Amino acid sequence: MEKYIEILKASGADAWEIIDTKTTGWEFYFIGRKLDQNRAKNVEHVTLKVYKLSDDGQSLGIASAEVAPTESPEALKKIAADLVYQASLVKNKPYRLNTPKKAEPIKAELRPLAEEAKAFIEAMNSVHETETEDLNSYEIFTNQVERRLINSEGVDITEHYPSSMVEVVVNARKDGHEIELYRLYHLGACNPKTLKEDVEETLQIGKDRLLTKPTPALGKAPMVLSTDAALEVYNYFLDNLNAAYVVRRMSSFEPGKPLAEDIKGDRINLEALRVLPDSPSNFAYDSEGAPIRDTVLIKDSVPQEYVGSRMFAQYLGLEDAFSVSNWKAGGGSKPAAELRKGRFLEVVEFSDFQVDSMTGDIFGEIRLGYFHDGEGNVTPVSGGSVSGNMADNLAEMYMSTELRQYSNAMIPAVTRLENITIAGVE
Amino acid sequence: MKAPFSEYLNSLVPGLRRLIELLEQDFDYVSVLSTDSKGLAVRISQHSKSVGNKTMTTERGTVVRVYKDGLYCEYAMDRFDPAAPEAAAEEISKALTAQLEVLKATGTAVYETGRLEDEPLELFVEKEAEQLPEEAKLQELVERLTAISDKGMTLSGHMLDCMANAQSTHICKLFLTRNRYLRQSYVYSEGSVAAVVGRDGQNKFGYKSVSGLCGPELFDTLSNKVEKAVEDALTMLDADRIVPGEYEIICSPEVSGLIAHEAFGHGVEMDMFVKGRALGADYIEKRVGSDLVTMHEGALCAENVTSYAFDDEGTLAGDTIEIQNGILKTGICDALSALRLGVKPTGNGKRENFEHKVYTRMTNTIFDSGSDSLEDMIKSIKFGYLLEGMESGMEDPKHWGIQCILQMGREIKDGKLTGKVVAPVIMTGYVPDLLGNISMASPDRLVFGSGGCGKGHKEWVKVSDGGPYLKTIGRLG
Repeated sequence: MEKYIEILKASGADAWEIIDTKTTGWEFYFIGRKLDQNRAKNVEHVTLKVYKLSDDGQSLGIASAEVAPTESPEALKKIAADLVYQASLVKNKPYRLNTPKKAEPIKAELRPLAEEAKAFIEAMNSVHETETEDLNSYEIFTNQVERRLINSEGVDITEHYPSSMVEVVVNARKDGHEIELYRLYHLGACNPKTLKEDVEETLQIGKDRLLTKPTPALGKAPMVLSTDAALEVYNYFLDNLNAAYVVRRMSSFEPGKPLAEDIKGDRINLEALRVLPDSPSNFAYDSEGAPIRDTVLIKDSVPQEYVGSRMFAQYLGLEDAFSVSNWKAGGGSKPAAELRKGRFLEVVEFSDFQVDSMTGDIFGEIRLGYFHDGEGNVTPVSGGSVSGNMADNLAEMYMSTELRQYSNAMIPAVTRLENITIAGVE
Repeated sequence: MKAPFSEYLNSLVPGLRRLIELLEQDFDYVSVLSTDSKGLAVRISQHSKSVGNKTMTTERGTVVRVYKDGLYCEYAMDRFDPAAPEAAAEEISKALTAQLEVLKATGTAVYETGRLEDEPLELFVEKEAEQLPEEAKLQELVERLTAISDKGMTLSGHMLDCMANAQSTHICKLFLTRNRYLRQSYVYSEGSVAAVVGRDGQNKFGYKSVSGLCGPELFDTLSNKVEKAVEDALTMLDADRIVPGEYEIICSPEVSGLIAHEAFGHGVEMDMFVKGRALGADYIEKRVGSDLVTMHEGALCAENVTSYAFDDEGTLAGDTIEIQNGILKTGICDALSALRLGVKPTGNGKRENFEHKVYTRMTNTIFDSGSDSLEDMIKSIKFGYLLEGMESGMEDPKHWGIQCILQMGREIKDGKLTGKVVAPVIMTGYVPDLLGNISMASPDRLVFGSGGCGKGHKEWVKVSDGGPYLKTIGRLG
């Protein structure tokens, strides 16, 4: 690290930043229950970023380079000199980098990779399969990461954390017909109980997918979400609080201004959290050195604070803003069972559900849904698509009182949007 | 000029050869892939401007693959010292031995695979490029992109931002075994213009791109794209919602490319055959499309962002005809999957970078052209849509479902474009129906390489795809 600091100090840059991320990782790939391949890695990524003010101080240039740990000192000096030149070519509105600020360190339990890997393998071994629902294949990635950030203003932060990922494909079959479902879990350390429960729930969903009929064309109808697809809905709110969206005039969210008039449904509550158990994103500081605070972002459908990167936060005059790592969307007024009433479609499996944060457009092809006809009949369905826009749903959406965690987010276990177009296949 | 091969990689060769010798004392097969790919990325918008050297494919590192007792293992590192191969061999053996102990403790069985062939082969390829990203005229490029962004802002009072991006990467890869010594160097570039417009709280986004197997000289063509990007964004601002249903459709080349990629790109990646995850395995030599459907896949079948000479397992690039006149002929395959299936690899073994595992991946996936004019296609439609612009797609190889999110549909009534536009459009359906209903194809075709492709929701690699205008029937929502 010292070599990078010395070179940047001597480069002529007006400010600089170094991010050094060291990762040791173990990976295991399975076909069925058998090991396809095992892999290990030991790598380091170093990014140098320089800032150069114009002669009149009215603009700020930014240039960055990822440098290989094997670069020679001579090559590094040339890279730094090139960065200063490159920065002089682009003109941004000036802003200041973060200065050192105290934050309570987060104590991450880092077990040796062998123990962590063993826990993941055993958790997957414990998943109960049946004759008709089983694991097609799965991949386990477990990493230990050391991230150090240093900048020219005196910030010097090192954080150690676990970062893991499990990809699972399950099959279910009946009468010669077989289907598959896909899951990708981003995790911190291994929580065997949660992983086993999530995978076994997926096996059950797979069983239901075998019983589907074509989705009817319901036209405008309520849609219920009860899986990680609902993250897209809440990410829409989070993105629209981002200073970059606001500066670019892509967001109309304003602190103190309600998201909608005449709200009939539940009100949105959104918080940023420093720590969420089992999250892979438990950090005391964001990637630019700003302390992460437990912060209310939206209260009762009224935005409270913007978040985001240093550059755009400064453009809005925000000194204490930060980039969100963990977050929580609050529950509504009714339990999940109350939200599953009347005529609606609950979709539990999409090809790729998306809510475009900039346009608010909602899309997704239905792989498995449950059509509730309002008279007590429930039919598993597949095919067709859902579409709509968040703007048409802000005044009436409902969230369950129960919450559920997905990776770095805690959200209502059930979310109901009232104004969705459902294109069937019949 | 030739894009010169990395001197850094040349300097590693003696040390890597020694590393292979050392590891062969314990393993039955050893291969090494070393990479040194440099890049350039310039991003200009009205609110943020930056220059960097990182693109999706820049990297420098080494991955070692070893084989013993039916099992392949890999170790990725970025500090290989050619003067100390013994230390690297020890580091690799120590890590893999520790992993095997965990596998033994958990009672893990191995999916046994045969040993890869190691036929002798030497190859040195340096492809042509007018400029290199390392030597680009940066000041001119920044000024050009700034002018594009500024011009975009003048084209409408509804403009919120106009982004102009340029990226270029000089790929250098070295593949070594006891008998194979392969080196390649090439440059690819991609650029885009994105216009964001807003009115009455509603935002829309227009996007145009360029890509090619060439250097930063490609960006000379980017200025021509800004008007169309702004026009598309404004068109979408005035668009209606589509009435969901099944329609006669004409797919523009960009949409045809997305269908090629999602339908019979992912659908015939043969590592999915090994896992029983693709319906395509049961349909070889069976009809999956109309007579007009012929589809190619391979690094050699087009010159674009992923037109390499050999893949990340040292297999030479190919040009595979996946579908010929509607009949599914074969899939594409990485080397290990080929061993397991008893077929020849097709040169489609790719990694996100040296840190990642090889999977069967697409390169260029392209529909063949036909002989019908776009005008005749439009004339033939009673009520339908001309579909333009792609946003994203998702495959479902197990069930041959497809989801394509498209920018817009231009309404056609009684053989004429009405001027009415619907947006956005989600096209879903069953792949054999979509391809089986192709009834017209235009003689021209285009290839697009500005996007990335994931396997599931990870493992991002560069791909290109394309085709001609195609007329078919699709379910839109």
